[in-house]
Amino acid sequence: MGLYNLKIKQQGIDVTAPGKKQFFGHLHPLTLVRRQVEEIFQQMGFSIIGGPEIETEWYNFDALNIPKDHPARDMWDTLWLKNKLLLRTHTSPVQIRYMEKHQPPFRIIAPGRVFRHEATDASHDVQFYHVEGLMIGKDISMANFKAIAKEFFQRFFNKEVKIRMRPGYFPFTEPSFEMDIQCLVCKGKGCSTCGQTGWIELWPGGMVHPNVFKAVGYNPKFWQGFAFCISLDRLAMMKYKINDIRLFYSNDLRFLEQF
Amino acid sequence: MIFSYNWLQSFFNKKLPKPEKLAEILAIRSFEVEEIRKSGKDWVLDVDILPNRVPDCACYLGLAREIGAITKLKVKNEKLKIKVKSSKLNIKNFLNVEVADKKSCSRYTARMITGVKVGLSPKWMQERLKICGLQPINNVVDAANYVMLETGQPLHAFDFEKIKGKTIIVRKAKRGEEIITLDGSKYELDENILVIADSKEPLAIAGIKGGKKAEIDENTKTIVLEAANFEPQIIRRGSKLLNLKTDASYRFEHGLDPNLTEAAINKATSLIQEISHGKIANGLLDFYPKKVLPKIIKLDLVYIDKLLGVKISKKEIIKILKSLGLNPVESGSKAALRGSPPLKAWFRKILNVGVPTFRLDISIPEDLIEEIARIFGYEKINGILPTTTLIPPQKNDNLFWQGMVKNILKEVGFAEVYNYSFISPKQVSNFKLQIPGLLEVENPVSVEQKYLRPSLIPNLLKNIQKNQEYFEKIKVFEIGKIFIGKNHEKTSLAGVITTRETKQGFYELKGIVDLLLNKLGISDIWYNECSSKKSGMRPFEQCAVIKINREEIGFLAGISEGVLRVLKIKQRVVAFNIDFERLAKQCSEEQVYQPISAYPAAVRDIAVLVPRKVKVVEVLNKINTAGGKLIMDVDVFDIYEGEELPEGKKNFAFHIIYQAKDRTLTAKEIDAVHQKIAQALESQPSWEVRK
Repeated sequence: MGLYNLKIKQQGIDVTAPGKKQFFGHLHPLTLVRRQVEEIFQQMGFSIIGGPEIETEWYNFDALNIPKDHPARDMWDTLWLKNKLLLRTHTSPVQIRYMEKHQPPFRIIAPGRVFRHEATDASHDVQFYHVEGLMIGKDISMANFKAIAKEFFQRFFNKEVKIRMRPGYFPFTEPSFEMDIQCLVCKGKGCSTCGQTGWIELWPGGMVHPNVFKAVGYNPKFWQGFAFCISLDRLAMMKYKINDIRLFYSNDLRFLEQF
Repeated sequence: MIFSYNWLQSFFNKKLPKPEKLAEILAIRSFEVEEIRKSGKDWVLDVDILPNRVPDCACYLGLAREIGAITKLKVKNEKLKIKVKSSKLNIKNFLNVEVADKKSCSRYTARMITGVKVGLSPKWMQERLKICGLQPINNVVDAANYVMLETGQPLHAFDFEKIKGKTIIVRKAKRGEEIITLDGSKYELDENILVIADSKEPLAIAGIKGGKKAEIDENTKTIVLEAANFEPQIIRRGSKLLNLKTDASYRFEHGLDPNLTEAAINKATSLIQEISHGKIANGLLDFYPKKVLPKIIKLDLVYIDKLLGVKISKKEIIKILKSLGLNPVESGSKAALRGSPPLKAWFRKILNVGVPTFRLDISIPEDLIEEIARIFGYEKINGILPTTTLIPPQKNDNLFWQGMVKNILKEVGFAEVYNYSFISPKQVSNFKLQIPGLLEVENPVSVEQKYLRPSLIPNLLKNIQKNQEYFEKIKVFEIGKIFIGKNHEKTSLAGVITTRETKQGFYELKGIVDLLLNKLGISDIWYNECSSKKSGMRPFEQCAVIKINREEIGFLAGISEGVLRVLKIKQRVVAFNIDFERLAKQCSEEQVYQPISAYPAAVRDIAVLVPRKVKVVEVLNKINTAGGKLIMDVDVFDIYEGEELPEGKKNFAFHIIYQAKDRTLTAKEIDAVHQKIAQALESQPSWEVRK
């Protein structure tokens, strides 16, 4: 103001009085996080694919190398419908449907709502969101996966994030792994958010199992690649430091208005 | 599975890393350790054995083998020699084993011990069992359990005197057969369940739980010990049917190495002989028609590098495989190496890997590559961005328009909600929904989630109910899947607003819908009054069908007072509901700039008194037709029905904006057109232009 050297008339305005309140709407935090995730993957050349929430046993299990009467099925507590169909327990069926209609090479992500028959608590709910990814080519390797994951985390959290990979088991990938990120709340020292471990389990994945390629009619000799799954809810919980997953579906406007 | 640190230590001469350190190494190389807890002088580790590794690692020997591989510590190699004391007796003269269902039981081994004194097991054994969560019972049962923990092979002991006909038969149960298990529970069996029976009746549910009938008690003198291998599927199915999960069923349903039974039964009989003063009888009954042999997998070293994206030397690969008890053999057989140089080079890149039968999880090269990668260390695989063909990502139109809709509604003050995809029977009855069209969940988590939602509106109303205490004006919307009829799901868009009065809310929301559709590039919008049944749900009043280019895409309606009363919603509510998939087809990003007229516009008002049943659109049509090109826009600014007006009449008031693109309109010109409009309106019977 010094530049102007003006005589300002205050005319009875109390500059400390509050301005007139403006009203605007709010997008759900999961929408915001999902957009960010989709944008990052699109920038890396991934297409976004959707698919049905009601699925058949074939697409949800068999095609993914999870046979009937196999204990691995217990990894996915399933909500069944009276008509013998089921509510998808992951968005992997979207990938199967995509592979049936397309030839590699490709890279896709499949974001969407998934369901589990689970007792609910602060970190479990009967529905949540997955963003599953799939990149197939002649020589797509685990090292490639690691680079993509690292790139994603850096862009998403806007800073260098420490990751670790450890063995996992999924019938549809071999080798399989779990990817953890160092807890952003305690920076790895151990806190209640990470269960004192210093790590947050965020991103399971692996190299697509040859049986999955066979199920969709690809020759496993010619193609290889990685598949992964991000829990969108958990990502949002990390980003906004939300401590109860059920807040996402309780729709308390006092919560939603913060976004 | 719970492991005792000290017990694990007993398999090594050298000291293991400290518990926390061991847990850390296990986590990044093999299994996550969920908990480390001190227990007296021992530590308890809760190790999360991956499902595919249960066959070989849900036991001390297996986990010790794994720890040996990842810490490079040597595991003690103890070969057990069985000492037969009562050599005059041979089990084969006393007991007959008959496997009737060979598919479900690939191996059945049995041994006999005589002169057993049943009593308490030694303290060291009791302690080890307790730390692993097993209750000590007596020396025979404890020894069997102890060996199960150590080797992973479940064993079962029968009192020989209680076996009728001195015959053990492995067969499917007969419908109606019953068994009382060791804990006193009664189970009804059928032909889906495998049993161990004597000549009369079932003695045990095979691979799941023992029966009371041939139970070991304080008077037992002679025991028969069983170590068998059962088909995972039949155990899993049986365990599910009976709703009975045990340590044994857990192991069998994940599969076990049939070659394990012999070592386990020998170890257990030796232990029992030692702690119960019994004598092992000669002979091993062994039904094992199809011996399982180690597999050999051809492993291409080039493929390892290609799949992992890292180079690991052949020497290191061989070392890793050997540390896990696998048997890599370079395929340079003499014959092969006499071949041409390219052939020789190719052979040098191939390993033939022998896989011991306890590794049920390894059957293809990729399984071996996982073993190599995790022991090598996932952390040593450096990220490399892929080099690949540039394929531009496809645009997902559905998602694009969803994003647009969300943004527009947010801009007009709506909050986006994510509701559950389910509704309750109570919501169904509140909304008088038709049950046949609803999809029902077979195993809902709660009754609140019995049906899949056939519409977004019931849950949106719940949102109002929940938030009305804190907010007076509520505007919420949702986009999500709804489910109607057989296997039919579609994306729906719906929103609700609270209002003091339905009519006022109706026009408010109609304005919002108009704005939304305009912003989506849609101009041909039409509203029809709907017949009450049209919407499928009847709890509406003041309902309008929304049409775009003659196609019905949704409706706009007030929620009936009755429903609001049941839901205890204090204000009035107006909702819109749009079939998003139909909407998305009509959306367009195309937009053409309209030149702004350089000439001024003039506004004139007109008010007209009409019979109550006349709709605004009829009047607008008349105005536009009469006014022609000179009318730029017409705004309705008042609709009035009230006491001051004649009975059965209402009043509409309009701003008419006149403008031409090529000249300034003169007052005379405007007056002429305005006059023409007034005349056109007056020409209608019982319409009256108010001056």
